[in-house]
Amino acid sequence: MHFSANTPEGTRDRLFVECQERRQVQSALIALFQSRGYHEIITPEVEFYDLFTQSGCPIPQETMLKIIDRSGKIMVMRPDCTTPIARVAATKLKTVPLPQRLYYDQTVFRSGAAHRGGSSEIAQCGIELIGASGPKADLEIVVMAVDALRSCGVEDFHIELGHAGFFRTLARRTDIPEEDLETIRRLIEGKNFAALQDILAEREAHASSAALFRLPYLFGGVEVLDEAETLAGENEDIAYLRGLYEILDAAGYGRFIKFDLGMVHQIDYYTGVVFRGYLSGAGAPVLSGGRYDHLAEAFGRPAEATGFAVDVDAVAACLPGAQLPALTCVVHFENGELLRALAAVDARPVGTCELSPCRTLESSINLARDKGADTVLVLENGGERVVTV
Amino acid sequence: MSERLRIALTKGRLQDQSVELFEGMGLDCTPIKNPGRRLVHSIPNYPLDAVLAKAPDVITYVEHGVCDLGIVGKDTILEKGGAFYEVMDLGFGRCRFALAVKEGSDFYGTYKTRRIATKYPAVTKEFFEKKGMDVSIIKIEGSVELAPILELADAIVDIVETGATLRENGLVPIEDVAQVSARLLVNIAAMKLHRTEILDFISRCEQELKRPK
Repeated sequence: MHFSANTPEGTRDRLFVECQERRQVQSALIALFQSRGYHEIITPEVEFYDLFTQSGCPIPQETMLKIIDRSGKIMVMRPDCTTPIARVAATKLKTVPLPQRLYYDQTVFRSGAAHRGGSSEIAQCGIELIGASGPKADLEIVVMAVDALRSCGVEDFHIELGHAGFFRTLARRTDIPEEDLETIRRLIEGKNFAALQDILAEREAHASSAALFRLPYLFGGVEVLDEAETLAGENEDIAYLRGLYEILDAAGYGRFIKFDLGMVHQIDYYTGVVFRGYLSGAGAPVLSGGRYDHLAEAFGRPAEATGFAVDVDAVAACLPGAQLPALTCVVHFENGELLRALAAVDARPVGTCELSPCRTLESSINLARDKGADTVLVLENGGERVVTV
Repeated sequence: MSERLRIALTKGRLQDQSVELFEGMGLDCTPIKNPGRRLVHSIPNYPLDAVLAKAPDVITYVEHGVCDLGIVGKDTILEKGGAFYEVMDLGFGRCRFALAVKEGSDFYGTYKTRRIATKYPAVTKEFFEKKGMDVSIIKIEGSVELAPILELADAIVDIVETGATLRENGLVPIEDVAQVSARLLVNIAAMKLHRTEILDFISRCEQELKRPK
């Protein structure tokens, strides 16, 4: 027989403790989402390729895992949770009044470049607040993001806010042609300070473009909003972020909030407040989200929306390592004692006791020894005794 | 006391020039210059630990966040890509990244699909895609100049330092693909979590590079 016993690149088996850590994060998040009135939605693992390419979802096509179905249509393994949820909200939930609060606990599939240690199966747990805009909706989502990470038992993190509109406003004020703007946007996103300086030096330094070129530096505490206003003058997006911050701060959330006005990724997709969560110990953001007001429109029901996803395994990796309970007892029982044997297992702490499938007591004792248990509970003739291994 | 930053340096010429930059900034680089058997070199008078790595590995370490910072050539960045902040052009390690053809040959004057030998297939692919030109790319690990001599390829895309090697092998650079120099990379999360320390390091680098020599 010739077949590979290995898993494909980007996938892996997760055993015991890893499952426990993942479940711990998932159940903490789900408990929070439910308590705040979010309802679970499960969408198909496989969807039409067109769903993602034609709705404005910013996932590059080469990272989608594709399947051809029997009729020859191109399908993909779900590369993103938000797009299918927007589809459902705009179609099946069309008659349900807005806003809708939805949460998901699903895997997304993205094929990364070879041999870079990335995972093509990403466990995501997140929420979408569909059909609500304005400060109260944005506050709810940002507070949910903070509480989500807190509920997982981590403290050393922050949520960084930006605004998709700020870059657009600054860009509109300059006379920089569209194609150069895309280059500049990429340099800002990559915090390529030096290359931006070079481009700026080549151009007539308008005050407005000066603000644009300062964007990558505008990250940190609430003081970056002051700097942004000094540079760009009064601006409604900055005022909006400040308004959010003041309410968050008054509610005790200020210490978790930072800003990065140079967060200008997926600028065609996001329409308002965007944010990412950074957790000490993780080399990449563990949470990301933002406002995407145009997505539902693509499915025929315009609705403003915002939401975020937590990278479950990235958070789990930063938690203190869980430990599996050690097996201490094996139950050897006569056929007629099945119920008592099960009761004995159920009565002990989870994972410390199991039934022995062996016919003779001797092999049960050997089994206990092999598995590191120190006692065998023997149930026979209505009585019980404990054999120490 | 703030946490120590970790930087990955590209082994070889860029390593020496990085050390020169650091020494100009007043960093004591003795541990890097006399590594002994150690693999992680702690700068005694600045909260920085250095590791030495091959160029593509510098990107890997920074991308995964096991190193907060990295110094690597733009050629490797163009070829490998990845998610990180490329904050500075350090100015050293400058060279040309060029398309070179056999002397006297008319590279563009044919409809035959051209064959290009290179160590940088991704850069080469993008270069010709932008021109809307189909080429066949062959990855060569060692001396790329050999491929046209052996008639394996019509041209090469490679780093040109002085051009002497090319000339000796009857090749002429006809077009620049990109300008290459050493870049300072920062891990995305590290930039956010160790903002003060990293901005301090960047501004020290900037000051040193601006200092007239």
